[in-house]
Amino acid sequence: MIVVQDLFKYYGEYPAVRGISFEVPKGRVVGFLGPNGAGKSTTMRILAGFLTATSGKASIDGRDVFWDPIEARRRIGYMPESCPLYGDMRVTEYLKFRAGLKGLGWSTRRKRLEYVLERCWLKDVKSQLVGTLSKGYRQRVGLADALLADPPVLILDEPTAGLDPTQIRETRKLIRELGQQHTMLLSTHILSEVEAACDSVIIIYQGQVVADGSLAAVRERYGNQNLEDIFIRLTGQEGI
Amino acid sequence: MRPTLSLIQREFTAYFFSPIGFVTLAVFLLVTGRLFGLALGLLTEPGPRGTEFPMQTLLGDEKFWLVFLFIPPLLTMRLLAEERGTGTLESLMTAPIRDWQVVAGKYLACLLFYVVLWLPTLAYLPVLLDLDANWKPRIDPWPVVTSYVGAFFAGAMFLAIGLYVSSLVKSQLVAAMIAMILSLVFVVAAFWRPEYDAGSLTTRIVYFLSVPEHFRRDFTRGIVDTRHLTLYGSITLLCLFLTVRSLEARRLR
Repeated sequence: MIVVQDLFKYYGEYPAVRGISFEVPKGRVVGFLGPNGAGKSTTMRILAGFLTATSGKASIDGRDVFWDPIEARRRIGYMPESCPLYGDMRVTEYLKFRAGLKGLGWSTRRKRLEYVLERCWLKDVKSQLVGTLSKGYRQRVGLADALLADPPVLILDEPTAGLDPTQIRETRKLIRELGQQHTMLLSTHILSEVEAACDSVIIIYQGQVVADGSLAAVRERYGNQNLEDIFIRLTGQEGI
Repeated sequence: MRPTLSLIQREFTAYFFSPIGFVTLAVFLLVTGRLFGLALGLLTEPGPRGTEFPMQTLLGDEKFWLVFLFIPPLLTMRLLAEERGTGTLESLMTAPIRDWQVVAGKYLACLLFYVVLWLPTLAYLPVLLDLDANWKPRIDPWPVVTSYVGAFFAGAMFLAIGLYVSSLVKSQLVAAMIAMILSLVFVVAAFWRPEYDAGSLTTRIVYFLSVPEHFRRDFTRGIVDTRHLTLYGSITLLCLFLTVRSLEARRLR
């Protein structure tokens, strides 16, 4: 579903992404790991079409994100890091606007709105201003937005950042359930989350892929350590 | 089409979420109302004093343009600068909508609000009709029509300038300031009257650029000069084109 080949991205002189290649087959939930500044967000932004890669190719369901951006974006539900929303709109208003933006017709719009409100537990706050919502609810609105058009691929940038333990557990459960219908690429810093919710992992460090494979395969390759040890070893911060 | 309509709807209603829309509307109506009062005074003046072109008192006046200078930048400063500032641009630009549709949606929304700004001034027309006992218009209607046509296209130009500036910066305040400075180019020439030798090059350039002069000499007298409309139209298209480019350039950084 997601194919990335030799992706490079320079911010001026600084290479944020240096030749990343990976593939996410259909129906897989993949955890995208790496220390801060490793290029996770940049890669996800390129996939979602917010940035253009300096070189290399990326495609979603066979649609190149550069040459066929609209069709590629139609197939993605993207939730940006820190989940920016319009604070001056009500939850349903916002989701209706987003549904229109994604080109949903009137009848599907109502149906999908009903579905995502139910799915992301937003019923209680549906007529509240987005700006007055707590972090956890905002995150859910972002997730609801990503789900609106029922895209085959979900790209979630740190969906559990800044949530409390109960919310993290809820979100994790939601992700696991969504993983049965959607191909998913999610970045996170919480390694236990990856172990709980993902089928496979991609670890990147300094803009390059250092490990890629199913959880079991990665563990085996590094002698059955836990993911945390593997992560620290691969990202070269052993001494700390 | 549907994404653009959605965006227009959201941007247009957003004007009513914040006080900016209402404040602009109030100030605008206060000024046009006062100028209309002046024009009405001149129209009802007995004796030889009075006015030949009542619309000139409204729109051909520097006072009007000094206030008008602030209005389009206030309407456009939010459009893209706020999205960049709060990061919502990321969700907008990753939706399946083309860059030109984003620009068109935002531009049409502010143009629509600009039209709404002018709508209440239509209430002045029945007052003018009321001047006559038999409700016959005692003023020539065509200068009124051409003034509205001119105001629409001139406003469209100032809004496009504002939208372009808004796409370049992150702060709304800075967007408004720069847009005002750029708009000043098209307004200030009327205040700074050079020697006014009608044939000199400076006067011709000033007259070519100065929107208040266009109104004073042409639109408010019932003349639609296509040179003026061409100027407004081409600046509008240029700014909209540059806005699309500036959004595209954002992806490449």
